[in-house]
Amino acid sequence: MSLLRYTLRRFAQAIPVLIGIVTITFFLANQIPGDPVEIMLGPTPAQEQVEAIRARYGLDRPIYVRYFTYLSGVATGDLGLSIYYDRPVLEMIMLRLPVTLLLMLSAFAFAIVTAIPLGVISAKRRNEPADHVSRIVSLIGVSTPSFWIGLVLIIVFAFYLGWFPARGLVLPWANPADVRGAATQLEVLRQSAHHLFLPMIALGTLQMAQITRIERSSMVDSLQGEYVKLARAYGVPESTIVRKHAFQVAQLPVITIIGLGLSTALGGAVLTETVFEIQGMGRLIITAINNQDYELIMGTTLVFGVVYVVGVILTDITYSYLDPRVTYGED
Amino acid sequence: MSEPLLSVRDLKTQFFTEDGTVRAVDGISFDVNEGEIVGLVGESGAGKSVATSSILRLVDSPGEIVGGEIEFKGETIFGLEADDDGELRPRDEMLTEEEMRKQIRGREIAIIFQDPMESLNPVFTVGGQLREFIEINRGLDPDEAKAEAIDMLREVGIPAPESRYDEYPHQFSGGMRQRVLIAMALACQPDLIIADEPTTALDVTVEGEILEMVTDLQEKYGTSFIWVTHDMSVVAEICDRVNVMYLGEIIEQAEVDDLFYDTKHPYTSALLDSMPRPDRTVDELRPIEGVMPEAIDPPSGCRFHSRCPEAREVCREVHPEPRDLSEEGEALHTAACVKHDAFDVGYDESPPIDTQATGGFSAGFTETGGEAE
Repeated sequence: MSLLRYTLRRFAQAIPVLIGIVTITFFLANQIPGDPVEIMLGPTPAQEQVEAIRARYGLDRPIYVRYFTYLSGVATGDLGLSIYYDRPVLEMIMLRLPVTLLLMLSAFAFAIVTAIPLGVISAKRRNEPADHVSRIVSLIGVSTPSFWIGLVLIIVFAFYLGWFPARGLVLPWANPADVRGAATQLEVLRQSAHHLFLPMIALGTLQMAQITRIERSSMVDSLQGEYVKLARAYGVPESTIVRKHAFQVAQLPVITIIGLGLSTALGGAVLTETVFEIQGMGRLIITAINNQDYELIMGTTLVFGVVYVVGVILTDITYSYLDPRVTYGED
Repeated sequence: MSEPLLSVRDLKTQFFTEDGTVRAVDGISFDVNEGEIVGLVGESGAGKSVATSSILRLVDSPGEIVGGEIEFKGETIFGLEADDDGELRPRDEMLTEEEMRKQIRGREIAIIFQDPMESLNPVFTVGGQLREFIEINRGLDPDEAKAEAIDMLREVGIPAPESRYDEYPHQFSGGMRQRVLIAMALACQPDLIIADEPTTALDVTVEGEILEMVTDLQEKYGTSFIWVTHDMSVVAEICDRVNVMYLGEIIEQAEVDDLFYDTKHPYTSALLDSMPRPDRTVDELRPIEGVMPEAIDPPSGCRFHSRCPEAREVCREVHPEPRDLSEEGEALHTAACVKHDAFDVGYDESPPIDTQATGGFSAGFTETGGEAE
């Protein structure tokens, strides 16, 4: 199957990209002024203590040795030991990554579910009131930072109205025994959705706004296409033309924007997690940087890189699935 | 004579733009009889395509049909009447939008568009698109429609139609796509097919093949055609009767032989003279001088007078309506040019005027430019 081969080849092509990410982050992280051991031990540590810790984390070896050790570690799935947490980096990431992925997926789900109908309606009723409303909503969405939206949501819906919790996140797959006030898995799910709602909107608004704009302009183009005129001339009902003939062609640029949105959403997740005090990857990265935890900085950056690369590959695959003109490069 | 299949009377379609009202189609009348191929000829911008989309009532905003009548097989596609206050409103018997969609478009009148590269939807298979239109317009179930689609693809000369059915438009050449569009039109078994410059985008050999195929299929199915083109050689090859359009008006209407051998309107003569022919070199070609004026602000009098080699003073003042100029016993031949005696507005006494065609116009411009230096 050529789609499978295409997918495998794309993943293989991603390996050099990931090596590049590792290399750049490794040397950048090591260029940050200051010393993680100093941060850990305070201003006047005993010399033996410093040396012992440097030896424990391998910081006493020359930088190129550390680089190759790290690279071979990554290849075998070992991301090293976090200096700050004193636990394997991979373990920390496995704990935090699902939280961030959950947040991002729900934000994108929210964005897509709202933006696509909004964009289609906007295009169909071009320059009518519905279009103006959608334009204003998306303009506000594009120009408002996610952390500010988060703060406003907290103030209005958590403090004044008290409808949603202001902080923290309950994972839907958490054990009911560990979740306060939840006796069954269903209650855990309910709590999870309750917690997720505000951060999802805070993170998803920008994506929603961007997708709406692209969906609109893409649908406007496609509704003016000759194939739409042809369908009209052959008596195809207008609703079918919008839903099928114009819609499917119009989704191609939208897919691209969703894929590109992944990178902004990763950045947005860091801020959203901070505002809502969610223990996800974003907070982990901030802790790592604040404490000059080399291994953790590199590990989290690498994971963000992987998420992004996977997003791009998924975009391309969806694209080739939707557009028959895109080949798998096997001419 | 029996009732014509399609009858268009004094059709007016205008576009309301910010710069003013564009009178794209300004009072045209013509008929299409059963089994006939009727040409609609003119330069780009003459209003040919607007006229055809008006017949299907598919004029894009800001365009609107503002007057006239379109009758098709006894049904009123368009017709206005004055209400008690003198305001114009659609007549009761005029088909609703829903009736137009369900009864007319595709089912009774099908269209073949100019650009085969853009007219097919790139993300659906050729067969799927064909099948959809057949299902809608002939009420067949999907399997029957598919069988019909494959038959029709074979009919229009697509090799291995069973396998090509599942291919996408980008896998077809331009000529093949145009054949698919023709298959679409024929497969819906309409009484009238509007072919809007269907061969313009194709190279000449393919054009020849397609014209030949259409002539054969037209004989086989007896479908009437409105053939829109700017190419007089296509007209000669395919049409029974011809309507020549200039700036929103039909200025000459005749059977094809009469039009070529007994041309009555200077614009038609000019079109024929600008046609490349094997017995003439490029130097001997006489292109029509000047460009067609904007339909937003048409010239006074006869609209062609600014480019007409035979223009006289009277042409600037009198706007001629087409009149029948045929002799007793001849087929109808109308033209809108005051040089014919039937108009009797004093053409012969009127002094000639400078136009772009007589050279006076452009010479005048150069002169003023030169002296200003």
